[in-house]
Amino acid sequence: MNAEQAEWIEEFEAAAKRSLEERLRYAFIHTYKPVLDDEPYRSFDTTAEYRRWCEENLPSWLGYGRTV
Amino acid sequence: MAARFEYRQAQELSAALHKNRVKYLFIGKSGAILLGFPDTTQDADLFVERSPENGRAVVAALKELGFPLTAAHEKDIVRGKDFVQLRYGPFDLDLVFAPDGIEKFADAERRALTVEGMRVCHIDDIIRSKEATGRVKDRESLPRLKAFRDWWMKQKRD
Repeated sequence: MNAEQAEWIEEFEAAAKRSLEERLRYAFIHTYKPVLDDEPYRSFDTTAEYRRWCEENLPSWLGYGRTV
Repeated sequence: MAARFEYRQAQELSAALHKNRVKYLFIGKSGAILLGFPDTTQDADLFVERSPENGRAVVAALKELGFPLTAAHEKDIVRGKDFVQLRYGPFDLDLVFAPDGIEKFADAERRALTVEGMRVCHIDDIIRSKEATGRVKDRESLPRLKAFRDWWMKQKRD
């Protein structure tokens, strides 16, 4: 196990000691995601269509593009 | 911008879904977080069984929670479009009717867990789904999520 993995285990163990209420308080954050958050509602007939829309419309740094 | 998803909202969402007998499972990072994975996310993701009856139940639950669904949006949900993104309710919510990497809702339902009344996909299904998306953000988060899976399984065994 490397140092990063050991740190992850510490984080998992620390989280396990917190209540669900506390964990959710830390987990759900609200940051503005350009384009993605600009419309109140979107729907896609297929998941493939949604993935394609993400790739073609969202800034690449958001990470919604595919690796292959 | 909607309020962030908090414990109270998770409870209210869960109560509304159960009251309306919705067949659903938390999936994605929000599901992993409910299982104990320490990370951050913005919205809740629900894997919803695709059927007109279940779609109508989802619509009823969301309306009770204050999502201002239009007739067209209700139709999308009842029809079970693969992906519906709601950014106009009390919190941000994605409805996923056909997640990558999971063939059938019933299969995921058999493996699912209940966390404080909320139905959550098994961590293996969450990982399988993220692997199948092939997205950059998922690829980057998978090593830590898989480490959590191993740690979590060990806790369950011990």
